[in-house]
Formats: sequence, C-alpha cells, structure tokens
Amino acid sequence: MQKIAIVYSFNTMKTSKIAKRISDAFGKNAVEMVNVEDVTPKQFLKFDNLICGTATWFDGELPNHWDEFVPELEDMDLSGKKVALFGLGDQKGYPENFLDGMGILGDILEAQGATMVGFTSTEGYTFESSGAERGDQFIGLGIDFETQGSKNKERVNGWVEKLKLEFQ
Amino acid sequence: MKKDRKYNIKTTDKKTLEKWFRLMTLGRLLDERAPNYLKQAIGWSYHAPYAGHDGIQLAIGQVFDRETDHLFPYYRDMLTTLSAGLTAEEIIYNGISKDLDVAGGGRHMSNHFAKPEWNIHNVSSSTGNHTLHAVGVGRALKKYKTPGISICSQGESSVSEGYVYEAINGASNEKLPVLFVIQDNGYGISVPKKDQTARRKVADNFAGFKNLRIIHCNGKDVFDSMNSLVEARKHIEEKEEPVIVQANCVRIHSHSNSDAHELYRDDFELNYVREYDPLAKFRRLLLRYERFTDEELTVIEEEMKQVVKIAHKAGMAAPDPSPDSIHDYVLPEPYVPEKYTDGTHQFEGNPMKLIQALNETLKAEFRHNPDTYIWGQDVAHKEKGGIFNVTKGMQKEFGKERVFNAPIAEDYIVGTANGMSRFNDKIRIVAEGAEFADYFWPAMEAFVETTHEYWRTKGQFSPNITIRLASGGYIGGGLYHSQTIEGTIATFPGVRVVYPSFADDAAGLLRTCLRSRGLNFYMEPKALYNAPKAATPVPDDFEVPFGKARIRREGEDLSMITYGNTSHLCLEAAQKISEEDGASVEVMDLRSLIPLDKEAILASVKKTGKVLIVHEDKVFSGFGAELAALITDEAFEYLDGPVKRVGSTFTPVGFNRILEAAILPDTEKILTAARDLLQY
Repeated sequence: MQKIAIVYSFNTMKTSKIAKRISDAFGKNAVEMVNVEDVTPKQFLKFDNLICGTATWFDGELPNHWDEFVPELEDMDLSGKKVALFGLGDQKGYPENFLDGMGILGDILEAQGATMVGFTSTEGYTFESSGAERGDQFIGLGIDFETQGSKNKERVNGWVEKLKLEFQ
Repeated sequence: MKKDRKYNIKTTDKKTLEKWFRLMTLGRLLDERAPNYLKQAIGWSYHAPYAGHDGIQLAIGQVFDRETDHLFPYYRDMLTTLSAGLTAEEIIYNGISKDLDVAGGGRHMSNHFAKPEWNIHNVSSSTGNHTLHAVGVGRALKKYKTPGISICSQGESSVSEGYVYEAINGASNEKLPVLFVIQDNGYGISVPKKDQTARRKVADNFAGFKNLRIIHCNGKDVFDSMNSLVEARKHIEEKEEPVIVQANCVRIHSHSNSDAHELYRDDFELNYVREYDPLAKFRRLLLRYERFTDEELTVIEEEMKQVVKIAHKAGMAAPDPSPDSIHDYVLPEPYVPEKYTDGTHQFEGNPMKLIQALNETLKAEFRHNPDTYIWGQDVAHKEKGGIFNVTKGMQKEFGKERVFNAPIAEDYIVGTANGMSRFNDKIRIVAEGAEFADYFWPAMEAFVETTHEYWRTKGQFSPNITIRLASGGYIGGGLYHSQTIEGTIATFPGVRVVYPSFADDAAGLLRTCLRSRGLNFYMEPKALYNAPKAATPVPDDFEVPFGKARIRREGEDLSMITYGNTSHLCLEAAQKISEEDGASVEVMDLRSLIPLDKEAILASVKKTGKVLIVHEDKVFSGFGAELAALITDEAFEYLDGPVKRVGSTFTPVGFNRILEAAILPDTEKILTAARDLLQY
C-alpha cells in the first residue's frame, strides 16, 4: 500500500487527536501527516491515497484552514486519487448541520475527480440534517466528541480496517 | 466557494482586490478607533462594532448602486456604508454627532450611518423596522418600473420582530425587488439565537413562502459574500421576486460599548470567533495566492492610518449642531390655500354628506395628481370601498396600481407607506391605517417612526402620507369599534392631526393634506358619515388650511371648544341654552389639533371669559387637558370661572347602548356642565 497522507490542521485539538489515532491504527510508517494550513498543491498531489480531516464550524461551514485551500483544490485534477474523509460534529448541539464541513469538502473533492472511499453508515447517530449524508451513509467517518466520545476508538479502528482494503 | 462564480482569489483583478483591502482596512481602523471617542468623552457613546461581519458588509456596499438602488443599513453597518461610498470623515461626523453628519446633523444616535442624498437611508434604532420601509420603496420601484433594487440589512435577532415577518410576507406576496440581508452573528446583545427561534438559520423559517429565494453564505468571507449577493441581485432582477441572503458572521467584540461580552461568552468561544477574523483571512489569502506582497499590503495599511488621522482632525474641527435649531424640521411647510385662506366659504349648493365629501375629494385629488396612491384593508373592490364605502369606485377609476387592498397588517400598511414615499417627493399616499381607529395600535411602531423621519434626517426625507381612520363611537360599536385615539396621537411631534365634523371641512382638510408634504393624521367621525346634521354644501375646490379653527356659532357668554362628533352636540346644547336660558354660547370647531389655532382659542376665551372644552375622548389625559393647560397658562386673567371639560369616562366604551350612553358625552352632559359654568 502506498503511503497515505492525513491532511488536517495541526492547530486543532480534537481533529489532531483523531488524526493521530488514525495514524496509530495504520502504523506510523504507513502515513504522513500534512498540515492543511501551509500545504501546497504539489505536496497534496504527491499522494494517491489521502485522508482529509475537518470539523464543521459555525452553522455548517468549513474551517478557514480548509476554506483557504479550496481555491487550490478547485484547480486540481484528482482523477485516480482515493480520498477518505473524517469529520467532527456535535449531533446534539448542532443537529441541523451535523458534519456539514465533511460534506462540503467531499463535494469539492468529488467535483475534481477524486474517488471517495471510507463511507460509513449513519446508523447510531441522531441528527436533523447533514451535508455529509449520501443516502443512508456518510461520505466519511463521523466523530462526535461531545455526544459519543466513548465511541471514537471503536469507530476509528473499524474505519481504518475498512480503509486498508479500500486503499489497496 | 465554487470556482465558476464571479469572484475568486485567483481570478479577481488586482485593482478590485486592492479596493476591497483598502475599504476593509479603513473600516477596521475606524471600528477599532470608535470606542476611544467615548473614553475621551468626545462622543460616539453608541458604537456597535462590525468586526466579524467584514465580508458581507463589504459586499453589500459593493453591490449597491447609488444611481438606482435604495439601501437600508442597520446600526452595525459601518463597513457597509463605507463600501457604499461614505468617507471616513462622514463616518466620524456621524460617530461624534457633528452638524456636518450627512445622516442628519447629529440628530440621530451615533453609528446610524446614512446618506439620504444617495438613498442610503437613515433608519431607526428599532431593530429591523426598516424592513417595512425597504419593502415600501420596493413597491415604488416596481410600480414605476424603475431599474434598481431595495437592499435591507439587519441582524438575525431582529427577525424575531413581527414586522419583519409582515415585510417579508408582503415582499413575497407583491413580488417586490427587495434583497433582505440577514447578518447572523449568533447574538442579540447577550441573547443567543437559540432563544430567538428554533432554527439556527432563521432565514429557513421563511422557506414556505412563495416567490422568495433563500441563499446562505459565509459573511466572513469576502468572495462568498460577493458571489452570493451578485447571485441574489441577478435573481431579483431576472425573476422579479425578493431574496433573503443569510450571512453567517462572527461578533468579535461585544454588542456595543455598553455591553461586556466576557460576562456571557467563554474564552473558548472568544478565541474561536477571533480565529475567523475575516480581515485576517482576506490578508492571508492575498499573500498565500501571491496576489500581493506583505510590503504592498503594509503600505496600504499605513495609507489608511493616514486617512483616519486626517478624518479625525476634520471631525474634531467640525461644528456641533446649534441648540437653536431644535425646532427646525419638525414638519415641512404645509400647502397653503390661496382662495380659502381661513377655510370658510359662502357656497350655497345642495348639502353633501360627509362620506360623499371624502369620496369626491379623494377622487378629485387622484385626478389632480397621478402620483397619488391609496391602500388599506378592504378599500379596493369593484362595488365596495372600505367598510364604510369611503373609497367606493376608486379602484374602478384609478386602477389596481394606485388603489389596492392591504393585508390585515396595520404596521405593514403604515410602514410600507413610509417606504414608498421615499421613492420621490411627488408621491402622496393615503393609507387607511386600519379598518377602525381601534385597530391602529399594531401600527403605532411604524407611525412613531414616521413622525421622526423629517426631523431625524434634518429635512432630507419627508414622508408625504395621510393616514385616514374611521374613528369614534355613537354607533353601538363597543370597545373595539368606538375608540378615538387623538389623545395619544397628538403627543408625537412630527404629525399634523385633523378631525373634521362637517362635510365641507372634511373635504377641505383632506385636499390640504393631499397637497402638503409631511405626515397627516386624518380622523373621520364615522358616526357622521351619513348624518344629515354633518352634511353641508361643499365647493368643488374647497380647501381648509391647517391650524385654523372655525367658529360654528358666535357667542358672548361662554366658549365651547370642541371637534369631531361633539361639535354637533355642542351646537345643540348652545341652541338650547340660547332658547331656554337666554345665554349666548360660542362654539368653536378646532378642525385641526396639530397645528392648533391658539390665537382663535385665546381670542374666544378673552371674549367670553368662560370655557367648556368638549370632546369624545376620555376627559382624563384627553386632548382637552392640553387645551385647559394652555388656556389657564396664557389667559388666566381673562377667566371668570374654572376651565371645565366634558368627555368620556375613564373606561372603555361598553357595547350595550345603556353603557355606551353612560360613557360617551351627550347633549345633556354638555348642557349640565355649561349651565354650571354660566353660574360663575
């Protein structure tokens, strides 16, 4: 399996924690951590397998560190790239836009030709609406520290096992 | 952000980016400097910082076209107005309330930026009530088939106000070119939006409305804001329907300088919102995408500091408003009749009923001025015109564009009249304020607002509106079809109040109202609409000047000062006294309460030495209290007895006729009071 990039903001707390957990689950040599705040298109395109992590800010927006990279993403050809997403949300506090950030990012990456992998079931989550929903699945892995923090480990580990197959 | 949209960090030309950066930098410098004026006791006591709203405010100002559009900014819209063209000096003149303030010479509260000359309207502090005005001017844009849109900006909490619902409903129903921009920073002062409405995105509450598009954008991001507003404008122009843009913003600082947000926001939240400082983000983007170098941006930042320094100096040197000017611009000069200078006539035609006099005068004035409009509840049907048929036949003759029904939303009726009259100074609007005066209360907010306009803008905007109301009792109407509300209305400077009691005066006053600039409150004693005693000959061109009382009966021994329904009761009582007591009573019909014919009142008091004030409204706190105070103050030495008053009891008006008779004044009560007074 080729090296996987985990792209996220190094200045985050919870997103960084999940990124580290994913990295550990893959094994350190299998992944490279990439800071979205200063990543260049060249660095991003170096990888064929990517995991992008994002929270949802405010009422359903991308955090600015991702938002500021979007103009670059929109000029990339991501054909042949496999991208998995993980998103952080609060299904109880913000049930109207649970994991919207992950959904927005997914839309952009898909539009640029990326093959999205790592979809997960929406079962076990309670929310009103989510921009990350694709049928009965989320476009990536949903993490909710606020409401279901105890499930993080199990969810990450299960997801990584699935990704190991999908990134082949 | 989608790359196919018009504005993008990579493709937007450098000149445009520079203009935006200049405006945003200048705005932020002013925003951060404003509190210093208060700390130094110079002024700007109210400052609602906009930091965190930078993207959407820049965009509103950029899409606003001063040649065609109307802009209604709210009190946080400093960057909006700068972006729309105000200078740093103009911002500071307003902030420290100088006479040069283009919004209105320091009359309105600081941070209410406006420039009526460019249709950047001077709006209220009553949060969100300018939605009604924006919709009103939108109606005018549509009726006059003029290019342009009406842009209304407000905070998300103000959407809780009922009149905002009325405004959006009206814009949707009338399909008006209005852009509502909701700047959502999550708080109404300290109240989080979860306490305002169940949805976090309040615009989505309007998703069920027809003819209305809702767009969400990131108000912290310049490009998303610009693209969303450009898209909204295009939609309004192409689809001819309103749009709501909800812009998600952050409030980096407190609500205003009288608020301390540390008391209700924790450090995590404050860091979170600071993290998304829109100006810092824009600067990072300019550098990251190599559109500017750090040196270039630093040069601009230094230049903007100089601009603020120069503006500050100009502000400190600018003159304050003069205390002698306070009485200027309360009301514009009225139309002054040339033929009927005292509002009387010698015409001897057939008597015309009061209702016919109103109907014919309205029609005559609508023929005379093509820029006249009338709306209200129930006023526009083929065979009907209002509950009493005052406007019968008007829609048939003048068409649906000028004569039309309003929804049962009194605030909307009056508020959109205010807005529509902003379109140009030729327009004259007759608003039937409610089915009955009793139902005018929901419109009080819009009414009070309208009384402020001329003074607050230092004469730059005159709402040329006549509010008509079927008023008063004597019809067995009970609590909600008997009220006469002039006692309340007359407490507001900025409105003329007239109350005729005969057909000729009704016609003459209505004509003068419709030819005058300014706000007029026209009360119609509905019990007299068809009463033979109120019918008179009416000259076709009759006019009654404001502030001219009419002596309906000459007398020497006692003055009855009255208006409306009680004018007739006084005349009956005076006749009886003459026949039965041999005393001579003068009956003065005021016709106009504001302006008041003080001269005529004092002349009558000086002649008779005894005054009985009679009106239908409650004695306690009724308009007669003001008359009594005036007379005792200015004519005390001429009085031969106490100034007495007859009016309603301090109760609502009961429905049962026995109750109604016990409550309202009648001829017997007037006779008793007059005879008592004549004994002095």
